[in-house]
Amino acid sequence: MATIRSLAAMTAEEVAAARASNPDAFGDSRRSLLVYGAWVITGIYLLWAFWYFDFAKLLEPSENAQRLLVALFRWEDMGSWQYANIYRGIAETLAMAFLGTFLASLVALIVGFLAARNIVRFGLWRHTVRRILDVFRGVDQLVWALVFVRAVGLGPLAGVLAIFISDIGTLSKLYSEAIENIDRKQVEGIKSTGAGPVRTIRFGILPQVFPVFLSQSLYFLESNTRSATILGIVGAGGIGMIIIERFRATLYDQVLFVVINVLILVAIIDWVSKFIRMKFIGEQRD
Amino acid sequence: MAITTDSTLTETGHRPDPVGVYEQHRKELKRARLGQNILFFLLFFGLLVFSVVTSQFYPERLASAFPRIFEYFQTILPALEWDLLFEGRDENGRAVAGSLTYWYTDLPKYIELIWETILMAITGTLLGTAGALVLCFPGSRNLVRSSVVYFFARRFMEICRGVPEILIALVFVFAIGVGPLAGILAVAIHTAGALAKLFAEVNENVSQRPIDGIRGVGGNWFEQMRYGVLPQVLPNFVSYGLLRFEINVRASSIIGFVGAGGIGQELNRVISFYSDDRVLAVLILVVLTVTAIDLISERMRLYFIGKENI
Repeated sequence: MATIRSLAAMTAEEVAAARASNPDAFGDSRRSLLVYGAWVITGIYLLWAFWYFDFAKLLEPSENAQRLLVALFRWEDMGSWQYANIYRGIAETLAMAFLGTFLASLVALIVGFLAARNIVRFGLWRHTVRRILDVFRGVDQLVWALVFVRAVGLGPLAGVLAIFISDIGTLSKLYSEAIENIDRKQVEGIKSTGAGPVRTIRFGILPQVFPVFLSQSLYFLESNTRSATILGIVGAGGIGMIIIERFRATLYDQVLFVVINVLILVAIIDWVSKFIRMKFIGEQRD
Repeated sequence: MAITTDSTLTETGHRPDPVGVYEQHRKELKRARLGQNILFFLLFFGLLVFSVVTSQFYPERLASAFPRIFEYFQTILPALEWDLLFEGRDENGRAVAGSLTYWYTDLPKYIELIWETILMAITGTLLGTAGALVLCFPGSRNLVRSSVVYFFARRFMEICRGVPEILIALVFVFAIGVGPLAGILAVAIHTAGALAKLFAEVNENVSQRPIDGIRGVGGNWFEQMRYGVLPQVLPNFVSYGLLRFEINVRASSIIGFVGAGGIGQELNRVISFYSDDRVLAVLILVVLTVTAIDLISERMRLYFIGKENI
């Protein structure tokens, strides 16, 4: 192997010797069989799925689809669009997301400590708290919204409660993980000065985890603004109610206008929370 | 440096009082930040008041709503009886009230719909991942020379992932009719946008050398991507794909709310029309399915990353 030669000039023995000395460079036939097998199975599955779910329907020209496409992009009678209603809906969406995230953060601040391994040593209690949180998180926000609409009626209150409950589950979990990852030294330092449990948490733990908490809550504010737009589809307040109402009334141009507005709102919140994170928490990248 | 001077000063006694100096410094810092803090507190408080007023989150409404929430949860609890719990059907084929069979009378229908939900998630994830794989290379800053291509690839991704799945599903249900196909397409489009962004971020962190190597032996752009970039990023792609699959199972389970197939359709029907144990029956099944798939997918994810990292 001292000189590099053309592959065609190599004898069969030389190739075999090279294969024996560098087995990794030649690829494993069993492994490649596995890879090809996976591709074939995926291909067969997709073909079957195309048949099972009737993808051929997509090729048929649909009158509805044509009408929809035209109506989405031809904006008519823009003077009569009831902008006040639309922007009230958007404000309601933002309010729901903000209030839901804020209240959930407050509760998660306490529950997070109760579910952290290094704070609560009693295992049974911690596991109970965690399983309850799993249920809050396991049920989708939209399902919570539907349930709360049944329980407290149509309107933004159901939306706030839905965001609140599902975020308690997620935020508490994230908070408790942050608490479990703290540096013990600061806590021991505070304890050695004779501080009680409350002061240990306040001065030993909270300063370490607060930036993480804030940053996560900001992420959730953004993601909740997104999800609050669709909560209205089941009647839980916000812009979703306007979207579904206009959609049913076949005012597709207004639907597109509202969706564009929501995207802009989400982009603004994204930008503001990035700014807050960079300025106050000192995060360089998100 | 500062610490050494401080300690020498204290030792020699030139420094009056370290605690005093600390407090002084702290006071100065606090004063400097006071204005900013007040401003942010006011903004925050203003936003809070605005939110409370807009969503009418008033104490009296809450107080009247609270008992109703508990009442509702009581109505969806099943009336199970211990001694009849495992009672089967009687000779007429009717289930005994109070037994599990009675609670889950519609179980075959639920199972079928959950199976459909999982298939929707798999198909949507596969199609979406394929779309993301195509989109992510033109959407990576370091892999394309034309900034026009980059710009349009990025904007396209943003549109795909910016619009919520359920809205896309709503549009598709209208365009091609009620059924799981609308749900699959909605999931696929959203997945393509979301994954393409993550894939592009992975692509932007690859080593340039294998790409240069492929270019050096005369590989065109596609060959550079296939043999230079893809082997570096594939384990990450698989892991992100599986993570997305978990998210898509959740999404497919609710996308039926607008008529786009899966268990969501049944869930919506049951919650909207009945206020009895059927609601809880479907909810439990959905949560169990989602949790089980999360666990399986997590195992697979660890397997893929673990294997490739060794």
